[in-house]
Amino acid sequence: MNAVLHAERSSDDPLRCEWLTKRYAGQTVLSNVFLEVTRGTVLGLIGRNGAGKTTLIRVLLGLEQPDEGRAFVFGEPSLGLTDAVKQRIGYVPQEPDAFAWMRIGDMLEFVGRQYPRWDSDFVELSLARWQIPTDRRLGRLSPGERQRVALIRALAVSPDLLVLDEPASALDPVARRDLLREIVARAAERGTTILFSTHIVSDLERVASRVVFLHDHRVVVDAALDDLAETHARLRVPAGSAALPASRIPGEVSRHHQLDGSITLVIARSRGEDWPEIVATPGTRLDALNLEDLFIEVAR
Amino acid sequence: MNADRFTILPGATEPIYRQIGSQLRRLIASGQLPPGEELPSVRDVAVQHAINPMTVSRAYCQLEGEGLLTRLRGKGMVVADGAHAVLSPEQRLARLQAQLADVARQARELNLPARLVLQRLKLLLEGPE
Repeated sequence: MNAVLHAERSSDDPLRCEWLTKRYAGQTVLSNVFLEVTRGTVLGLIGRNGAGKTTLIRVLLGLEQPDEGRAFVFGEPSLGLTDAVKQRIGYVPQEPDAFAWMRIGDMLEFVGRQYPRWDSDFVELSLARWQIPTDRRLGRLSPGERQRVALIRALAVSPDLLVLDEPASALDPVARRDLLREIVARAAERGTTILFSTHIVSDLERVASRVVFLHDHRVVVDAALDDLAETHARLRVPAGSAALPASRIPGEVSRHHQLDGSITLVIARSRGEDWPEIVATPGTRLDALNLEDLFIEVAR
Repeated sequence: MNADRFTILPGATEPIYRQIGSQLRRLIASGQLPPGEELPSVRDVAVQHAINPMTVSRAYCQLEGEGLLTRLRGKGMVVADGAHAVLSPEQRLARLQAQLADVARQARELNLPARLVLQRLKLLLEGPE
């Protein structure tokens, strides 16, 4: 027990979880997720719709209780965060709908009073830049406007940890690029830790330092983006090849049988490690993968 | 040098830090970036292209390790003195060898006559960037 308590206190990483499992009505939506997110990481979370991204974010932040496992934010158990830690978090849910009856200006003023590091200059600048009328009620905004207001609110708290669930889903390309630049500037200037989920792979490739890929409710890829071309590849094995065992090979991420009888695999290795022996077998072919290829190859 | 001089292609199999590194190597080898030329800050490149700052600094550090860049106090990164030995056309061509070999292989796989490929390459070389 002592050892467990000690382990809890030893890490104040912005986000950490172990053995996270979540079920809804008997259906598993998250299965044994482990994560450690160090300060300054820009982590992109990808996965198909229903892969468990939103659930993972909500359990990490303590908005939902896991069935198994534990999550921590800055070293505190997510299910009992103190105000001191909550004030360091900026969070934009997928469909922000709080305070629908309030006017934008009033809401921002109200929320701002609860945060000691509220950046009212940033709020003013952003409202002007994004042409948001402050006297409109939140409930009357378009989805894109509502998302922008939620982003302004999350960024204005000068968060040490910024969590964005599909932040770009209702934004046009210009607003999206604005947001990506803001993310990058925060990471560069303040070392802000950022977790964002998206299915726009090119956004993730630009701004993320690390990618976590959820598929079938588990983490299938967790890699530094700069190293992805080195650590992940597609292997094609021709039809009828005896080289490929029926069981998983080391580093195997996915395996698909093609119509012509050939098999494609996604394989992973650590930096500096060799590929498994099978890649040297005549007839097999190893191809570099970009993130989009990897996503499609694994998720189809 | 301005941050917008880099071309970043997110979908490429070449990681972004290597895209930055190889563009810098070519600009330095051709003398377009002379010794002492200041590079844009990591922050400026990152924000301009909306790319991760660590990716940019990784590229800079790699070229610093190769002796092509030096870190100047108060000024950031500049092109190193030793880097100015402008390479001969053959030496510069050698740096394209791998990419050209790749194009040649793919052109053969597509069963394209050399004439057509060369024509297109010529257009690309002479056209606007």
